[in-house]
Amino acid sequence: MQEPRRHLDEFLSPEERERLRQQPLWKIRLRLFLRSLRTNWRLFAENRIGLIGLAIIIFFALLAIAHPILMKYVWDPTVYDPVVGYAYEETMQPAPPSSRHLLGTDPLGRDVLSQLMFSARSEFILGLVAALITVTIGTTIGALSAYFGGPIDTFFMRLADLIIMLPFVTILIVLGALFKLDLPKLALVIGILSGFGGTTIIIKSQALTIKVRTYIEAARVAGGSHWHIIRHHIIPNLLPLSFLYMMFTVTSAIFSEAALSFFGLLNIRMSWGLMIHTAQTAGYLLNTKTWWLIVPAGLSITLLCAAFYLVGRALDEVVNPRLRKR
Amino acid sequence: MRRYVLRRLVQIVITFFIFITLAYFLLEAQPGDYAQIFLSNPKLTQAQREALKATFGLDRPVHERYFRYMRSLLRGNLGISFSNYPRQVADIIFERAPRTLTLFLTATVVSFTIGFFSGKILAWKRGKTLEYVATVGGVTLYTVFTPWFGLMMIWIFAAALKLFPIGKFITPTLWRGAPIEATVLFQRMLLTAFIDLLILFFWLLATRAVRPDRRRPVQWLGVLVVLGGLAAYWVPTGLTRYILDILHHLVLPVFTLTCISFAGTMLLTRNSMLETLREDYIMAARAKGLPEKSIRDKHAARNAMLPVVTSFVFSLAFAIDGGVITETIFSWPGMGLTLLEAALSQDIPMVMGGLVFTGTLALLAHLVADILYAYLDPRIRYG
Amino acid sequence: MTEPILYVDDLTMHYTTRAGDVSAVDNVSFTLTKGESLGLVGESGCGKTSVAICLLKLLPDNAHIKGGHIYLDGVDLVPLSEEQVRRYRWRRISMIFQAAMNSLNPVYKVGDQIIEAMETHLENFSYPAAREKVAELFRLVGLDPALMDQYPHEYSGGMRQRAVIAMALACDPDIIIADEPTTALDVIVQDRILKELRAIQQKLNMGMIYISHDIAVIAEVSDCVGVMYAGRLVEKACTEEIFHHPIHPYTAGLMSAFPSIVGPKRELTMLPGEPPDLLHPPPGCRFHPRCPYATSICMEQVPEFKEYGGDHFAACWHPLEG
Repeated sequence: MQEPRRHLDEFLSPEERERLRQQPLWKIRLRLFLRSLRTNWRLFAENRIGLIGLAIIIFFALLAIAHPILMKYVWDPTVYDPVVGYAYEETMQPAPPSSRHLLGTDPLGRDVLSQLMFSARSEFILGLVAALITVTIGTTIGALSAYFGGPIDTFFMRLADLIIMLPFVTILIVLGALFKLDLPKLALVIGILSGFGGTTIIIKSQALTIKVRTYIEAARVAGGSHWHIIRHHIIPNLLPLSFLYMMFTVTSAIFSEAALSFFGLLNIRMSWGLMIHTAQTAGYLLNTKTWWLIVPAGLSITLLCAAFYLVGRALDEVVNPRLRKR
Repeated sequence: MRRYVLRRLVQIVITFFIFITLAYFLLEAQPGDYAQIFLSNPKLTQAQREALKATFGLDRPVHERYFRYMRSLLRGNLGISFSNYPRQVADIIFERAPRTLTLFLTATVVSFTIGFFSGKILAWKRGKTLEYVATVGGVTLYTVFTPWFGLMMIWIFAAALKLFPIGKFITPTLWRGAPIEATVLFQRMLLTAFIDLLILFFWLLATRAVRPDRRRPVQWLGVLVVLGGLAAYWVPTGLTRYILDILHHLVLPVFTLTCISFAGTMLLTRNSMLETLREDYIMAARAKGLPEKSIRDKHAARNAMLPVVTSFVFSLAFAIDGGVITETIFSWPGMGLTLLEAALSQDIPMVMGGLVFTGTLALLAHLVADILYAYLDPRIRYG
Repeated sequence: MTEPILYVDDLTMHYTTRAGDVSAVDNVSFTLTKGESLGLVGESGCGKTSVAICLLKLLPDNAHIKGGHIYLDGVDLVPLSEEQVRRYRWRRISMIFQAAMNSLNPVYKVGDQIIEAMETHLENFSYPAAREKVAELFRLVGLDPALMDQYPHEYSGGMRQRAVIAMALACDPDIIIADEPTTALDVIVQDRILKELRAIQQKLNMGMIYISHDIAVIAEVSDCVGVMYAGRLVEKACTEEIFHHPIHPYTAGLMSAFPSIVGPKRELTMLPGEPPDLLHPPPGCRFHPRCPYATSICMEQVPEFKEYGGDHFAACWHPLEG
């Protein structure tokens, strides 16, 4: 049963119509976007699990933002600098938590809290860059493969098959050991590996279901070029799913960085993984008495990874109605 | 079905060669001449140096070395490890791979069993407090920073409670004067375990012919017979205390790995169950007046199992992948630790060997997953 | 008249949704005697399936029986616990589902799925006897007994439908509920299965509740017809009676919305308007916004469901005269 189609104008009074006409298109688009954002937020907020994740992410984001401010106005850089600072007033390094150093100092006399906050920023940058690369590649390739099919599809899908069979962490470790990666390069490697791998497969299968919808057919009949249809009809509809997979990529990027830093394979000034690595090389790894060298950093990695994963799962229930509560 | 498996087999072999080729050229492209580093070892004489160069083919151009490598790979020869000179790479893999496989096979089986059962219950208890607790807890464990978590486990269970050894594969003091080498004993243990599992598998397969209402006891009989056989074989040898020592070292790593990975299965099972529960045949099963447990276990879980089984086999393939981290923390001398050490010391043949091994495992797992999937889903089996 | 086996009294059921309560079944009462076939007819969304779900108490999480009783042989099912109701399901009341095609579990053999029901409910169950019974049921519904060791996907649509009917008969239930079981099949198979189902029902002397939106199908299989509108039963009478002398304007409209092949040619009239939104049902008689005879009383008071002679019941302020 098809409902009789009515034009939008029928619902509006002439004045309203006139007002609407005078608004620039972007304003209308923005309003529509905000409205869908509100609906989706309501769905998301129903899930307490996602909110927990979001709260953790915001907490770490605040830490990251607070660090430069603290360094500038409160903390003395010679003492608190995360990389070159030294806690002169402590007699023993590593020093346990005190009022001056809330989380103590590391074996090199540097403030642990400052390191923790400083690292948060690079974790965010790494995670988001890697996720953006992944999603850009995944969405483009997924849309192209689904839309054109044929040899393009076969090639990229076989490539994806190959990549998902690769032992991810092992490859990163081998690469790290042989090439001394820095943060941008690591983001690129993670982005490419997950972009051409699993993400593409999932986004392509979604794109296939979009491709057969009637509005695509309509756009084609109306004479839309391939690029127009892909850019304006397929990709916008893939974005929610892409966004969802961004969250999972952030988790895996942060985890990979931490693991590589932990093995000392990353060319980086400071990170949570490196903090544990420093404790390990100084021989404090199995010492329960110096817990502040290990626990805060380890907990931060775990919490931030978990937070992005939780948000991803909550988004999954928004994007994927089959999982929603009846 | 046979054609399907054959086609997959061909695909997998091709993928394997692409993978090896990529890995080979990637390692060749690394900065710094690893051969020079290796050959500049001051203990070597000039003549030895030349001889080695020729043996490794280091004086040949890259593409020639590649074909040389591929040829010997086909013959099962992975070359000689630089850092363990003159041991064969294949020999080292043969010694260490079983340890990795055992550790991760056990951990994966345990965590999948736990994950599957808890996920099943979680889907059944939708929207209750239990769901939130389990999901947040599970996700936290799932995304936990493995080295840190491993350390915590060692701190608690080994250092503080002294229930388990801190790491390593065996207790050296116990093995002084042992009648058998640890590696040999371990291989024998694995062999018996493997044979028993095989027997059990075929036994369970055979019970499908038995009437459904009599199947359970027959299956349990098989399990008892196999366990009895195992005891009858090992107890007379007097090696049980050494076996127990190895098993004792295995407990903490397995437990840690289980904690980390069961949540993944749990959440996957839950989602899969939630989708299955919407199916009409679940409604029909309820209408039939079947007990809740039967609906959940026989009707919903059996169908929800398909994606879980696939992910099970895949995670087996990635055993070594996560293995690098876990093995380092527990100083478990398996493939992961070997691969890390080889990469750090630029022992290219060993790294290559490790990648070949990992790749083979991953591809085999994909094949097994496909076959299992087809076996579990009659729609594919006869499709 | 024989003793009724099923007596539904003032049954009311609500779905709780985010937007509010939906009253899907509202004060529905009817009886069913042994060997009788009752057809429930109405537009989609009028609560037919909800009634069926209530009878088996197969309620989804958001559905609640707000009031009324379901007496099966004098025992009220409404207050019973899930475990107690479970013993009634299939043993006393079985059901053929709307999506019969999908009500077989794809990973088990069809025969085993039928045997499973018997194993759950029958005392002195024995496996060989059960297989024998399945073979008998398969022959009854026109399937080759050898098919019972095959998987559902190896069946055609019609075969699956027959298997589902066989499954519904497995425990010799007193009542069988058929919820549009033939909608997914092509017309020829549909008709054949319908006739067979009717024949089996009469042969085994079971009660049957047949649910459909298709009044022609209902006419073929039922002794008695209940017409539902917006969650309420608006008219109930024996098939002959209701076709020839409808009392409720909705019934009359429903009749004329379907062409008759055999009867005299007549004008087909469509019912104007849409079924009401059950979130906010209209007050009084729920049919009044679409009823050509509606007056002010229809908008204010709910008409009583009363007898108009000879087991003919209707709820209308302005009954049509035969």
